[in-house]
Amino acid sequence: MVTLFLLVLLAVAGCARQERREGCLACHSGIEQASRHHVGCVGCHGGDGVAYAKNTAHATMKGGGNPSEPTSWDTSCGGCHRYQLERVTSSVMTTNRGIIRNIQLTWEGEDTKQYATTGGTVFGPTGTTVALTPVAELDNLAGELYRKTCSRCHIGTANGDAYGATHGSGCAACHFPWNVEGVYVGKDRTMKGKAGHSASHVMNPLPDTQVCARCHNRSGRIAFSYLGLYDGNNGLVPTRGGEAGPVMTSGARSLTHITPDLHAAAGMECIDCHTSRDVMGDGYSSQNMYLQTEIRCEDCHGDPVNLPRYREITRENEEAVRESRSYKLPVTSGMLMIQTAGGHQYSNVFYRNGALWLQGKRSGKLHKIKVITGSSEHTVSGHGRLECYSCHSHTVVQCYGCHTTYDRKKQATDFITGEETAGSFNETEDYRMLYPFPLALNQRGKISPVTPGCQTFVSVAEADGSFSKREYVAKFKGAQQLRFAPFYSHNSSKKAIGCTECHGNPAFLGFGQHTIAGNSITGTLICEKSGSKPLDGFLTMKNGQVRAYSAIVREQSRPLNGGEVRRALSVNLCLVCHDTAKDPIYRKGLNYRALDNALHRKLLSLPGR
Amino acid sequence: MHWIMLFIVSCCLFPVGDATAAHVGMACHHCHRQGGAASEPVVGCVGCHGGKEKVFSHAMTKRSGEKQFVERSYGRVDSRFWEKNCDSCHVTGCRDCHSDAGLAKPSVAACQRCHNGYFIGWDYSGRAPREDNMRYQRGIVVNGATFLKMLPDVHYLAGMTCGACHSMDSLAEGKKSSKVCRDCHMPALTVLEHQIPAHLQRLECYACHSAWGAQEYGTFFLRFRDRSVKKEFDLVSLNNVEYLRSAYLKKQEAPPLGLNGRGLVTPIRPQFISYYTDIMSARNNGPENVLLAAEWRAYFPHTIQRGSVTCEGCHDNPTRFLLEPESRRIYDLATDGLGLESFWSQKGQRVVNGSFMDAARYLRMAGKSTEYKRVYLQKWKKLLNHVEPSSPP
Repeated sequence: MVTLFLLVLLAVAGCARQERREGCLACHSGIEQASRHHVGCVGCHGGDGVAYAKNTAHATMKGGGNPSEPTSWDTSCGGCHRYQLERVTSSVMTTNRGIIRNIQLTWEGEDTKQYATTGGTVFGPTGTTVALTPVAELDNLAGELYRKTCSRCHIGTANGDAYGATHGSGCAACHFPWNVEGVYVGKDRTMKGKAGHSASHVMNPLPDTQVCARCHNRSGRIAFSYLGLYDGNNGLVPTRGGEAGPVMTSGARSLTHITPDLHAAAGMECIDCHTSRDVMGDGYSSQNMYLQTEIRCEDCHGDPVNLPRYREITRENEEAVRESRSYKLPVTSGMLMIQTAGGHQYSNVFYRNGALWLQGKRSGKLHKIKVITGSSEHTVSGHGRLECYSCHSHTVVQCYGCHTTYDRKKQATDFITGEETAGSFNETEDYRMLYPFPLALNQRGKISPVTPGCQTFVSVAEADGSFSKREYVAKFKGAQQLRFAPFYSHNSSKKAIGCTECHGNPAFLGFGQHTIAGNSITGTLICEKSGSKPLDGFLTMKNGQVRAYSAIVREQSRPLNGGEVRRALSVNLCLVCHDTAKDPIYRKGLNYRALDNALHRKLLSLPGR
Repeated sequence: MHWIMLFIVSCCLFPVGDATAAHVGMACHHCHRQGGAASEPVVGCVGCHGGKEKVFSHAMTKRSGEKQFVERSYGRVDSRFWEKNCDSCHVTGCRDCHSDAGLAKPSVAACQRCHNGYFIGWDYSGRAPREDNMRYQRGIVVNGATFLKMLPDVHYLAGMTCGACHSMDSLAEGKKSSKVCRDCHMPALTVLEHQIPAHLQRLECYACHSAWGAQEYGTFFLRFRDRSVKKEFDLVSLNNVEYLRSAYLKKQEAPPLGLNGRGLVTPIRPQFISYYTDIMSARNNGPENVLLAAEWRAYFPHTIQRGSVTCEGCHDNPTRFLLEPESRRIYDLATDGLGLESFWSQKGQRVVNGSFMDAARYLRMAGKSTEYKRVYLQKWKKLLNHVEPSSPP
C-alpha cells in the first residue's frame, strides 16, 4: 500500500516538475496545448526541457518532431496508452498485410512467408502467433510495387509533401490535423509556415472524415465516394480561378462532385460507423482489411429477419463507456448499446424508447436509424443472398485497364527503406465509370458489387531498354486472368436500384456494356488483348452458354454461374406485371409455370393451349 | 526537268501491269497536261471525272454546319476560333481522299484521317475517343491519336468500306449517303421487335441497332494567352498552341434517344455542350467555364450490331430520353457550376436537328400495354429458354 502511494506521488510529482521547469516555450511560445490531458512538452516529446540551445534541447527528442512515430511510440503515446498501441501495432493500417498480400496474389509475388511493413511477431485472429517478415525482404516486383507506391499510405510512414495526402506517422497520422499542403498554420511563430507538419498542435481524439480521406482516396476511393467526389477522367475541368479544378487532390488528380453517400449527407463521419476496433484493430492481426472490419449495415438497420442486437451497459469499465468520454453524450450504465457483427458494442449507437439512435461522435447530433426488418422490400425471396449495398449503392467506382510499366532504368524512392533505388513504376489507364456496376459472389457467399481489382497489364523495361514483359496479365488462381474484387463503394443511397433496372440490365450480372441478339450477350467495350472479351465485365453469353473470363478475388468468391444468371434474368418474366417488391409473389420462390395458367393467358392475351 | 519528274512520279503511281490501277497505261499529260500549278489534282481529275467537282460545294469542303456552330458558340469569345481549332479537316482536292496507291477508292483508313475522334467514322472500326488527360493516352496510335477499343460495326467486320454506303456520286450530290439500311435489309418479321408496327414506323433502324455511341458530356476549350501556364494542365496537345481541350465526362454505352428531323426516334448525343475558360482572364477574377452551347444532335452511330438492348433499355429507362429522375442523379453539375441541372435533363438543352422526346410521350411508351407485356415475355423466354443452367465459374 505504501509502495502504491509512493508510485502515485512520484507520477504526480513528475508531471508537476515538467510543467515548472520546461523552457521550450521560449522558442515555441503560442503553441497550442495538445489537449487538456496532455500538459507540458517533454512528457511526450522527450528532449531537454531546460536546455536553452536548440540543438541541446532537441538532441534527445523522441521521433524528431513527432514522438508518436513508430520508432518512439512505445515510450511516448504508448507509455500511457498501452492498450491502444498494442492494438494499432498489429492492425492492418500499420502492418499493411492486406495490401501486401493482395499485391503478391495478383503480381505473381507469393512465397510461403507473411509480409508486413516491419517484421515481428503478432497474434493472429485465433490467438496463435504469426511471424511477419519485413516487406523490405520481399525481393520481387510485388515488393517493389508496394514499397514504391502503396506504402506511402501506411501509418508508419509520414507524407509531408503530397498535396491533399499529407499525414504524420504513427498515432499522429490520424490524431493530429493536417491541411492539404502539410503546413503548420498555428500560433507557434517558430513553426508557422513550416511544411511537413500538422496544421496545428491540437490533438484530435476523434479524427474527422478529412483525416481518413487523406489516405482512403486511392484504389477503392471510398472516402471520395462517401463525400461525393469523383476523380473520374482527371479532366482538370471545370477550372477554378483559372487553375485546374474543380477540386484538386494528390497525384494532380481533379475531383468533380457527385451525389454523396446518404450518411455523409446526413452529417455522419467515417468514425460514426467505424468503431475503434475497425480502425485501430483489436489486438489480433488480420490478413486483410475486410477481416479487421467488424461492422455491417445490418448491425444498425437489422436484416430481413433479425432486429439489431443490443446489450446493456452494466459495468463502469466497459469499452463503450471509456470510448465515449469525448462525445457530447457519454454513454452510461444502463444504456442499451447496439452490437457490431463482431460482437462488440458500438459506443455511439443505442436503443431508446422503441427506436435506434446513432450519436455523431464529433457532432453529438442524434440520428434516428431506420430498421428494415420485416419490410416487404427486404423480404424478397432470394434477396437474402444480397449484400445491402448491392441494391443501395448509388454508384460504384470502377477503373478499367491499369497498364503498369516498371522501368529498371529509372530511379524511384523506396518509402520503406527511404532509399532511391533502380526501378520506377508508371501507370496508364483505359476507362473509369460509376454506373452501372457488376455483381458477383463475395467471400461470404453473398452477392455483392465488384470492381476491377485489379486489371493490371504489366510491362517491364530492363536496364538495357529491352522489354522482358509487355502488357502481361499475371496468373491468378492458376490461370492468366483479370480480376475483380468484392467492394462496398461507400456511396449508398436511400432509394435502392429498381427491380427492373437491375434484373433487366445484364451489365449488373457482369456482362459489361453489351448488345443482345437472340440468346447471345456480347460486350461492346473490349479488352485489347482479345477480340471479344469485355473489359468492363467478366461474363459473355454465346448461344446460351455463359462463360466467365475474370476471377473474383477473395476466398470462395466467383462470378455468377449460368444457372444463377438464368435465375436472375428469369425474374423479368414476372416483373413486367408484378413490378414492386411488395407484391406477394415475391415472398416465396417464383413459379414460372403460373405463366401458363388460364388466368395469365387471359391477362396477357396469350393463345390458349 | 519538271515534266521529267512528273513522269517519274506518275510511273511510280501507275506502274504498267498494275491491274488494280484505273489509270494504267495512260500518258502523264492526260492528267498533268496543264503543268505547273494547273496540275493541281482537281483540275486534272475533273477533266475526265466531270461532275465530281460538286463535292467541293458540299459539307466536306464547306463545312457550313460546323462553321455555324462555332459562330454561335466559341466564335462569340474568339472570332478566330474556327481557323485555330477546326480548319485542318476540310477537303481541298481529290487527293485528300484518293491518296492511296493507284488512286483507288478511299479505304476506311483514308476516310478516318478526318472522320476520327468524336466524329463518325472511328466508331465504324471499333474506336472510341479516350479521355483527354495524358494518363489515358496509351495503346495503339493511329494518326497521332489513341483510342478505346470497342466492338466494330458488323459491316466493317464484313469488310465493307465507307464507300459501300457513301458513294462518290452521293457525296457529289451533297447527300449523306447513297444507301440507307432498308435499301439492303428488309426487317425480318421473325424478329419479335420487328413485329411491333410502331417500331418499324417510328424508329430509325439504328435507334435499336447502334450497339454503342461515343458521348462527350461537357466539352471544354481552355485558352492560354500565356503558353507557359499550359504545363499545369496534363492534357493532350492540340495543333493550336493557344488552346487545350478537355471533357467533364465521356461515355460509350448505348446512346440516348430523341427524335430526328423526320420525327423518327433516333440516337442523339451532345454535340456540343460547350464550355470556355480564358485562363488568364479567369485568374484575374474573370468568368470561367462559360456555357456557350448545350446542343445535341440526332445522329447515326456507325456501331451496328445484329442485336439490341433489352426492352427495358428503352421502355423503362427515362434517363435515355433525358428524363432522368432526380433520385437517380449522379453528377452534381450545380455544385461544379456548370449551368445545367443535369446532362440528362432536357432543361436548358436542345436538339439542333430534331427534338427531345417529351415526357408525356415517354410516359405513354413506358406504360406497359398488354401487347407490350405479351411480346416482352416472348422476348425474355427466347433468351432464357436456351441459357445453359451451369458453366464453369
